[in-house]
Amino acid sequence: MMSYFGYRLLALAAALCLLPAMIFAQEEAPGMIHNVTVRPAPKGVTPRTPDGHPDFTGVWNGMADNLLGVPNQMHNEGIAVESDHSTYDVLSGAKIATWPLAKPKRQNGEQNERAATLLRRMGASRPIYKPEYWEMVKELDANANEEDPSNNCMPAGIPRVGSPSYIGQFPNYLIFIYPGQGGLIATQTMYRMIPLDGRKHTPLQDLDGSYSGEGIAHWEADTLVVDTWGFNTATWFDQLGGYFHSENMHVVERFQRNGNTLTWTATIDDPDVLLEPWTTTPRIQILNRNPKAMLPESLPCSERDLAHAVTREHH
Amino acid sequence: MSAKAKWLKVLTSAGLATLAFQCAGAQTGQAKATVVTPDVARTIKAAADALGMPRTGGPGGALLPEIDVVNRMEILGTGSSSASGQTSKTEYHAALGYNPPAMRLEMTRTNPGGTPQHTIQTVRDNYAWDESAIGAGLEPGRGTATPKIAAVKDRLLHLWVLPYGVVKAAFVAGDKTTVSIEDGATVLTVPLSGELAGVRLKATLDSKNFITKVVAQTGGGMDIEADYSDYADHGEILTDVKSPGHIVEKRGGSTVLDIQVKTWDANNPYLVFPVPPDVKKAAAQESSKVAEK
Repeated sequence: MMSYFGYRLLALAAALCLLPAMIFAQEEAPGMIHNVTVRPAPKGVTPRTPDGHPDFTGVWNGMADNLLGVPNQMHNEGIAVESDHSTYDVLSGAKIATWPLAKPKRQNGEQNERAATLLRRMGASRPIYKPEYWEMVKELDANANEEDPSNNCMPAGIPRVGSPSYIGQFPNYLIFIYPGQGGLIATQTMYRMIPLDGRKHTPLQDLDGSYSGEGIAHWEADTLVVDTWGFNTATWFDQLGGYFHSENMHVVERFQRNGNTLTWTATIDDPDVLLEPWTTTPRIQILNRNPKAMLPESLPCSERDLAHAVTREHH
Repeated sequence: MSAKAKWLKVLTSAGLATLAFQCAGAQTGQAKATVVTPDVARTIKAAADALGMPRTGGPGGALLPEIDVVNRMEILGTGSSSASGQTSKTEYHAALGYNPPAMRLEMTRTNPGGTPQHTIQTVRDNYAWDESAIGAGLEPGRGTATPKIAAVKDRLLHLWVLPYGVVKAAFVAGDKTTVSIEDGATVLTVPLSGELAGVRLKATLDSKNFITKVVAQTGGGMDIEADYSDYADHGEILTDVKSPGHIVEKRGGSTVLDIQVKTWDANNPYLVFPVPPDVKKAAAQESSKVAEK
């Protein structure tokens, strides 16, 4: 009769034999919860102000806020992950190979950062600089740890800051608030007070360049248009990519409200450095319907990472 | 018998049955020397994994599926190239992208005692042109862009004979991609589509699933054969995307390019391929001529 020890040995062998099948089964299990980065379908009606324009007032959360992680940045850069099996590029419509994961992949910080670098930059939408600047843009992005002007808690500027998290809409002006973030990717809080009273721009030569420029709003049917110039050159115009600009940059932001969603785009024209104007991928935000919703206080911005960067790898 | 002993006995029986099944399978395999054809989807994924193409994660991205992250790449290398029976020392610089499909191949060929010959051959979608300088034809004073519409297919093919191109094309071809075992190695056969419809790629994988040979069967008797070896992350900024360190390209059996890679940047760098207005105009004229005929 087999000893108890013998049974244990055989049981161990049996378990080892069954193990590959168990692992195989785990690898094959589809349908884990995934991050979807496609634009959400609008819900509800679009409220209007007494003068008949769409009302943008409210706290806007969600998809399009910048610098909130890789899925948001992929959405902003035009990569739509529809499901575990399907991804496409919003600009070109190209299908991108996608494989479901049975469970979150365990990666160390280095693997995460390298993956993030690629995921954020894989979209087809790129501003077209004049050829003499191609190498410079590439080098700025490659050396963003040192070159990114928003490092050290400097303002992201317009339009890099993206779409506001709070809009206050009044008959003759708008208030935009962009909360800052502490932590690893620190940004400074920004606000804008934008006239909506039919005034004209100050001549460009009379403006001192600033991070937010001189923004003036007007309506084009139901689209709220914010036209801005008068910038300094201390910002890049997108979240990543090394997209520098000149003092002659002209930005036109378009806001459209559809039910509980806000769609924001920015068209950047800078004849000094760009071959043609470039429009960002539409970014979508969702209204926070909680009537008590408030913006939290921004954490203090304190740059702690740069001093520890030892390679050129970056976000 | 205790409950624990009963459980051990049941598990042991299952294990013995499994062992017997596996042994029988192995014996059958030895006796008939049959090889099970690998599954197509698994083979494509294995090749993609070896290259570091499917990626997920990053801050906030832990629940993303795996996505093919390879789009834009830049390759720098040195070696030799042959044209019209003459072999020249060659500086090789390729910038490429898959979305949209585009490539700019800049080569400087130097013969002993001769003047260096510098060429820039570019393709994007249905447009091909030569540039006298990078970005020529896009603004005044930047040099000239010479349309080469007839070269579109040949230049595009260089994208798809790269290992990443094979994986992307195999994914797009879906169930038209086949897998087989030839001389003990796994081979993916992929039909191309669009501009390159009619071309078939045969890619050989090594034991680590790296694509080591790609043959593009064009049907015109001038097949392109490319050998890839010395895979590593050759990027200045590391990305965990593996690329070949050595490329050998043959046409009609003769070596036309032999390049040692210095850097292969796979970090989706800023590379753009705008089509010069004159090239668009030439392509439109060519299309209308074809339509008239």
